[in-house]
Amino acid sequence: MRLRDTADATAANPAEGMVSREIFSSETIFAQELERVFAPSWAFVGHTSQLAADGDYVLSRVGQESVIVARERGGGINVLLNSCRHRGMPVCRYDAGNASAFTCSYHAWSFDLDGALTGVPRLNEAYHGELDRSQWGLIKARVAIFYGSIWASFDETAPDFETFLGDMAYYVRDLMQSPDGEDDGYEVIGGIVKWRMPCNWKFGAENFTGDHYHNYSHRSVDRLKISLSGKASRHPLAAIQTPFKFLNIAHPGGHTVRANLYEALTDYQSMWGDEPEVDAYFRAAHDKRQKRLGDRARLITRGGVVFPNMHYNTGGRTTIGIWVPVSAAETEVWRWLFVPREAPQIVKDTLRHFYLRYGGPAGMTEQDDMENWSAAQRGTSGVTARKFPFNFQLNINEAHRAWPEAWLGADTMVTAGVSEHNQRSFYTRWNELMSA
Amino acid sequence: MGSGSEGNRTRMSVAPNAYEAGLAQLLLQREVEAFYTREAELLDDRRFTEWLDLFADDARYYMPIARNVAFDRPEAEYTRERTDANWFDEGKDDLAKRVQQIEGGDHWAEEPRSRTSHLITNVNIAEIRGAEMTVHCRFIVSQNRQDNDINFFVGKRTDILRRSDTLQVAHRTIYLDQAVLQAKGLTTFF
Repeated sequence: MRLRDTADATAANPAEGMVSREIFSSETIFAQELERVFAPSWAFVGHTSQLAADGDYVLSRVGQESVIVARERGGGINVLLNSCRHRGMPVCRYDAGNASAFTCSYHAWSFDLDGALTGVPRLNEAYHGELDRSQWGLIKARVAIFYGSIWASFDETAPDFETFLGDMAYYVRDLMQSPDGEDDGYEVIGGIVKWRMPCNWKFGAENFTGDHYHNYSHRSVDRLKISLSGKASRHPLAAIQTPFKFLNIAHPGGHTVRANLYEALTDYQSMWGDEPEVDAYFRAAHDKRQKRLGDRARLITRGGVVFPNMHYNTGGRTTIGIWVPVSAAETEVWRWLFVPREAPQIVKDTLRHFYLRYGGPAGMTEQDDMENWSAAQRGTSGVTARKFPFNFQLNINEAHRAWPEAWLGADTMVTAGVSEHNQRSFYTRWNELMSA
Repeated sequence: MGSGSEGNRTRMSVAPNAYEAGLAQLLLQREVEAFYTREAELLDDRRFTEWLDLFADDARYYMPIARNVAFDRPEAEYTRERTDANWFDEGKDDLAKRVQQIEGGDHWAEEPRSRTSHLITNVNIAEIRGAEMTVHCRFIVSQNRQDNDINFFVGKRTDILRRSDTLQVAHRTIYLDQAVLQAKGLTTFF
């Protein structure tokens, strides 16, 4: 195929299993992505457990931009662009806290938790009482609260959040269900993990869609058995002996899920054998979840992507992250770590310890991912290299609709086994938005 | 003060007990600094298994995440040990696993291995309690990998050192002067 290399080229042809290297290195394409891919989408900005009291706030990001996620009196949650309407200063300078108003440090315009402009120095004598404060509040996002997760969009024309998700709603609900299947069953551990990595955001995104082909990356950590199952592998799920299909579940909106669909419901199989009390919690949770979900409990998700840049892990590692696009070749990562709210403290402690050793820059698994993504980035900008597309042809054209169970979602396209189906679906959606 | 050598003058100006105490303090300072110099050499020479021996079996290795907080909430600046998300919050077993990972030749984030230089300075023995003492210091860790991968970590460290036969680290807290980590991997030790 011929790859277009101009700024307005989308340069991805996932139907043929090829994606241009330039979409990872071109600053022009990157700038277009911010407008066409990020702006019309909904962004994950946090979790209700971060805002326990009225006045609590945290900073987050929508695309590249800083936002304040604040709980106003009465419990309503607002997402406000953290940029003063007067000169653009961030009106909130702290990562988290409790406030009744945000006052800009430059000229002291102040805004309440709803974003309304309440204070303007010299309002009467210098603005002659003619400044219409109702027109100069902080820019407010549309907000959706979904089983505890908080989402925002500044696009007034975007579909509502659940339309945006489509069948993915089932999986985001699943993500927020504690191990016993209770809805909105998680809380965030204090401290959001943030770091920079020298690669395009899509390397992380496509890996989280369902790259089951990259196990070689993690050879070193697999030989060390960092899961607490007492058995080999980095994954607690590896301890389950029941046969399963590894599913790559893709949604038309570009959202993707990777999951194990087990052949049968079975008794609990020890996944946390190194910690008997933790294992007992998961045993009881397993039984409750089967009662709650019935046959659908056969599906245990491993993670996925809410298009474009929210990514998550499940399967004993409930974490949510966002790829904050900094430039074509740089990404800031934010990661929220979750523990089941009602679990005993030892379960929370054990999970926390497992997460810290698993993911992020100090994580023994993700260190090797980021090494590989950053090295791949170097392969995207060479005058020669960038003329040759990446290959995404692994198990191409094998997808089935709503298969092997209709309840996976009427619009889902699914493959089983090692495949780049989810990556192709991700780039197909990316292509649609970039071509629009 | 009269005549005499520099040493005599010093001795004359200090009461005998204070002199002995000062000498003991100096020797302890020297011992701690030598301990840290040796530790840095082991790390920079990639003798990680020997480095692990400098830690007590029940040692804790804790590196919090820094946050931007208001002046009146200084206690919230660093994430809490055994409670919050941290860069590191673990024991010697975990450190040993990290060493095993690096030494296998298949941990791509450290293959080929980093070149590091650990500089330890401002060593201040803040408190002595029986067999343990609290020591503050500053660190600069320079890390270079492959051709252009360069990290420069600067921060503060608080150790609890314990004397058994030799000195060992019983507890280490590492305060890195970064809120958003400016590195994709923490594959070196601090």
